[in-house]
Amino acid sequence: MSSPEVATTIVRRWLALALETINAHEDELGQLDAAAGDGDHGATMVRGLRAAVATVEKADGSAGHLLAAAGAAFADAAGGASGALVGALLSTTGRTLADDPCDTPSVAKALQAGLTMVKRLGKAQPGDKTLIDALQPFVDALAAQPVDQSLAAAWRAALPAARQGAEATGAMVARRGRSAKLGERSLGHPDPGATSIVYLLQAMNDALGASGA
Amino acid sequence: MTRLFNDPADFREELIEGFVAAYGRLVKRVPNASGVMAIDSPQPGKVSVVVGGGSGHYPAFCGYVGPGLAAAAVMGNVFAAPSAEQVHRVTKAVASDAGVLYCYGNYSGDVLNFDMAELRCQDEGIDVRTVRVTDDVASAPRGQEEDRRGIAGDFFVFKIAGAAAARGDALDEVERLARKANDHTRSFGVAFGGCTLPGQSAPLFTVEPGRMELGLGVHGEPGIQSSHMRPAREVADLLLDTLLTDAPSDAGSTVAVLLNGLGSTQYEEMFVLYKDINRRLLAEGLTPYKPIVNEMVTSLDMAGCSLTLCWLDDELTALLDAPCASAAYTNI
Repeated sequence: MSSPEVATTIVRRWLALALETINAHEDELGQLDAAAGDGDHGATMVRGLRAAVATVEKADGSAGHLLAAAGAAFADAAGGASGALVGALLSTTGRTLADDPCDTPSVAKALQAGLTMVKRLGKAQPGDKTLIDALQPFVDALAAQPVDQSLAAAWRAALPAARQGAEATGAMVARRGRSAKLGERSLGHPDPGATSIVYLLQAMNDALGASGA
Repeated sequence: MTRLFNDPADFREELIEGFVAAYGRLVKRVPNASGVMAIDSPQPGKVSVVVGGGSGHYPAFCGYVGPGLAAAAVMGNVFAAPSAEQVHRVTKAVASDAGVLYCYGNYSGDVLNFDMAELRCQDEGIDVRTVRVTDDVASAPRGQEEDRRGIAGDFFVFKIAGAAAARGDALDEVERLARKANDHTRSFGVAFGGCTLPGQSAPLFTVEPGRMELGLGVHGEPGIQSSHMRPAREVADLLLDTLLTDAPSDAGSTVAVLLNGLGSTQYEEMFVLYKDINRRLLAEGLTPYKPIVNEMVTSLDMAGCSLTLCWLDDELTALLDAPCASAAYTNI
């Protein structure tokens, strides 16, 4: 990515696109959640993203700092497990990235730290039917891209791994979170958290593509 | 159907404002936080019991704030746990030198956010402990009691913890008694119809006419089993068969009883059901102690009810009998 200014522009654009995308899919996410949970996942994500967008509009600093501020705002406004976990993902990724350049290796490392925090807080592992089933394959795929590859190209190349991961959750039985209480009833429906993560990653792909970074 | 709202996004904020406006004699708003605190809180030397969870369950959780009960309630959006930031702010407002006990239903969102707040408070030198309510026998089998979710049993655990705190028990003791109350409490519910989030046109789930869902959650989570609708006396037996099979190992013969409405079940129907619950309890050699037939933990406008038993001994009975005042429950 060419400059810190481009990076902060991309973070702002990403969050705006993410809000737009999740807003458009709010009902779908709610219905996925209602299959075994309480049906509020879409509304929770919209609430969190609105607060994150408002925060980065006012905040200054590097892309890492903006992400950290967005994560804190997301967690507080969204509430629930999704709020805490997605908020911690953004905050930890942002804090790890800090003032580093937004190249593929630094972003992959920062996302890996975010993923580790999500696993620690949520006490979930791949296969438990959570957002980790989309995020982990994506982070692995991003880290496997050539170090000199542009972030936009690396992101695009890693995105299918997230999609496949989210789709695969449809065949899983929930073992963590509120849907775990319903056991077999969660079978046949993709996890709403994993589905949201794909939308967030897709929005970043669009933000990066538009920047030519 | 939730009909009365302005912007659904403001539902929580507006309900807090209205609740404080109505019950200002018992509670006040926690400044800059999504929660309410008792007018007499914090009290030096007395533990503050902080309860909380998503909105949509009134009188859980703000309805239990007041002298002799909870010191404060942290209020999340409808069916969403409050954020760690809000839990932290409310804790700071009511923390006394005697410490704080968190008491809430066992849901992953609540656990995550209360745990994060607890760590932060401990770093700041506030002694915080946690007792999670796990009364719903439908949500995990025997032997995995700690994985169960909390439903109407919240009421007995909060009441007992609040009474221990009000009497001046130390934090260790308040924690022990709250845990003991939870260990002696079991609930099981049935639903006849779903609930609808504010602003939504369709319910979270539906129950077909002539059928009922067993073991429902209080967030519209579907039940664990579906059955044809049965007469009240059979529903009473079904609820009690399940609870009595799951009785704690040291169960005595006196039980506090709560027949809890979930939001749109008529009180008089519940009395019809309670008649048969009472008959069956007596037939089992159990003495119902000051039974409550009321709405104590609801799920928006869900149709259905749950039965909670709390097996008592002298220690728990004294705390259940202690005076308290709150919007939803007063004992004098």
